[in-house]
Amino acid sequence: MNAFETMAPADGLTRRRGLLVPALILLLVFAALPALLAGFDKGYFYQIANLALIFVLLSASMHLVTGVAGLLHLGHAAFYGVGAYTAALLTSKLGLGFTVTLPLSGLVAALVAFLVALPTMRLVSIYFAVATLAIGQMLYLVMLNWVDFTKGPNGIIVSKGFELFGFSLSGRLGAYYTVAAVVTLSVVAIGRLSHSYYGNALRSIREDDQCADAMGVSTVRLKMEAFTLSAFFAGIAGSLWAHMTGYISPGDFKFSESILILAMVVVGGLGSLPGAIIGALLLILLPEGLRALGDFRNIMVGLVMFLSILLLPKGLLGEVSALRLVRRQLGAAWRNTGKGEGIGWR
Amino acid sequence: MTFRLLTLTTLTAAGIATGIATGIAGSAFAADTVKLGYQLPLTGDTAQYGQDFRKAAEIALTEFNAAGKPFKVEIVFEDSRSDAKEGTNIARKFVDDKEIVGVLGDFTSGVSMAAAQVYKDAGMPQLSQTASHPDYTKVSKYQFRNIATQAQEGPYNAKWMATKGFKNVAVIAEQTDWGQSVVSGFSDAVKANGGTVAFSEFFNRGLKDYRSLISKIERAKPDAIYTGFFYEDGAQFLKQLQQLGIKTPVYSTSAAYSPKLIELAGGAAEGVHLTSNFLPTDPSPNVQHFVDEWKKRSEGAVPGQFPAQAYDAVRIMLAAVEKASPNPTREKVRDALAQTKDFPGVTGKTSFSADREAEKELVKVEVKGGAFIPVAD
Repeated sequence: MNAFETMAPADGLTRRRGLLVPALILLLVFAALPALLAGFDKGYFYQIANLALIFVLLSASMHLVTGVAGLLHLGHAAFYGVGAYTAALLTSKLGLGFTVTLPLSGLVAALVAFLVALPTMRLVSIYFAVATLAIGQMLYLVMLNWVDFTKGPNGIIVSKGFELFGFSLSGRLGAYYTVAAVVTLSVVAIGRLSHSYYGNALRSIREDDQCADAMGVSTVRLKMEAFTLSAFFAGIAGSLWAHMTGYISPGDFKFSESILILAMVVVGGLGSLPGAIIGALLLILLPEGLRALGDFRNIMVGLVMFLSILLLPKGLLGEVSALRLVRRQLGAAWRNTGKGEGIGWR
Repeated sequence: MTFRLLTLTTLTAAGIATGIATGIAGSAFAADTVKLGYQLPLTGDTAQYGQDFRKAAEIALTEFNAAGKPFKVEIVFEDSRSDAKEGTNIARKFVDDKEIVGVLGDFTSGVSMAAAQVYKDAGMPQLSQTASHPDYTKVSKYQFRNIATQAQEGPYNAKWMATKGFKNVAVIAEQTDWGQSVVSGFSDAVKANGGTVAFSEFFNRGLKDYRSLISKIERAKPDAIYTGFFYEDGAQFLKQLQQLGIKTPVYSTSAAYSPKLIELAGGAAEGVHLTSNFLPTDPSPNVQHFVDEWKKRSEGAVPGQFPAQAYDAVRIMLAAVEKASPNPTREKVRDALAQTKDFPGVTGKTSFSADREAEKELVKVEVKGGAFIPVAD
């Protein structure tokens, strides 16, 4: 019996198993959950479900850059904001509906990401992190201070809810299905990107970018693509948020939101898409679930995050240890091996 | 490893489950109790304001329930952390609770506006003690606020400064929706009175170094500086103004009116002119009663402008509920709120105009000898 034959049944099994889990999740998202929501008929539960789904998409999109490609991204919320502002401005100034603003939000966010990526993507480790921090702050300040265009701190009222080619979906169940469908499609796309040769090429950057470069992987181009793609999906999430709440202001997209999304990716497990999804669900549902604790709920959320990093340094389902990644990202600055590496460009 | 994972998941699941359970169950409840919601930041960057509002609301509520009315009122406080995500979640939660007939809050305009989108559709009256966004009350007929807007305060201050002979003024304000309204409300009135605005600029909240801003102001050589800030930023600004030896008179809005301004700025606050509608030194019995109650609960500290506004907002809401009873509904409470006229609060008499803005009497105040002293002009 050769190795090939022994592999075959196992492969078949994983393939069947590989179909079962997504089928169950789809059933949960599109049948069980809506049934439950309709059963309770509480706007609060719909709201939380939609919010959790939007953050699932944000976390999944950051997973592409931080989890798979291993680049510490500290400005993700800004692209979420660019998407939301695109949707809000197109709606309030041109009267366009969700069908048009959804793809445009993604594209504008991707375009902005591409432009800011051009000069920054050659940076590595902590320098990359600081560059993304600067990009995030810069975009936030544009939203806040370019008053003539963005209305600055006054924010924008988004008068139109969800619709598809003019057919209104703004009822509770309609909104849920819209958000769920958009998020599911996006997550599937991100899943295909990260579990493919393409994803493996990104992983090679995470594991050793110099080695990947030497093997002929175009690391700069890949980083740029990953960064732009992740901004595209963040923009999509922004459009969902704008049409869902009906009012956006720069405060929704500040630095602390970037950190929240980063925490989701890390708690869930760096490099794992299911991890990123679970991380997002955890950090949205837990603070709401703990409302009964009053002022102590943030401490509890902090405690859960702390314990999860302490006890599960790879996150709940991680491929890589968060501690290892951070050590490598930040450690490069002060590590001196005497071989010329360390501070500066690698 | 598996054990740890299991513990963690159980912990989380338990947390979420309790939340859902409380969400579904609501609370068992006597028929003669009316419920109100109050969304406010009890944690996070702006928690100090939210904590003060809760204290003020509790004073108002205790008095109301002790007054032997035919029904009792319960206020449900929910922490929004000044985050629009949480603010809208809470709004949905309050709307779901059929027993809640009115909502107070939120603190920041951004969160109040986001929550207002929910209350608009649900027909829930919302009364904010501080939301200053120019479009807030325009969201729908359910939005009220108990704060003098800059459309009222700006012209008042512009006139005050004009009578003092300050024709050429500089304006600075924080870069928020409120700061925007400070500048526009004031500048328009200055120009209408024939004065000029020599300089106007916004700064980001929490700025530590105002020196470059101050030198830009001084380059414009204004007769006086009009400022839109809260006490934290105000104290920083005034201290640095003093350090640079600048004697240009400073005027400000009621937002800076807090004992903490003098506490933090010390001598630098001397001579600052501002408007207010709440004076803790006012001898009238209801003000003294509020100040005493506040001191009892805050180790002798004196309440500022915002807690007073919150105290009045809660009492206006309670009065509306009483007017709408028996069997108050959201619609009846809204109508009762809209009819509020000359409500005798600690921040003066309050009436709601047809567009649900609070019309308040303003008082002129100057800082003298480390205290706020009312002045005639």
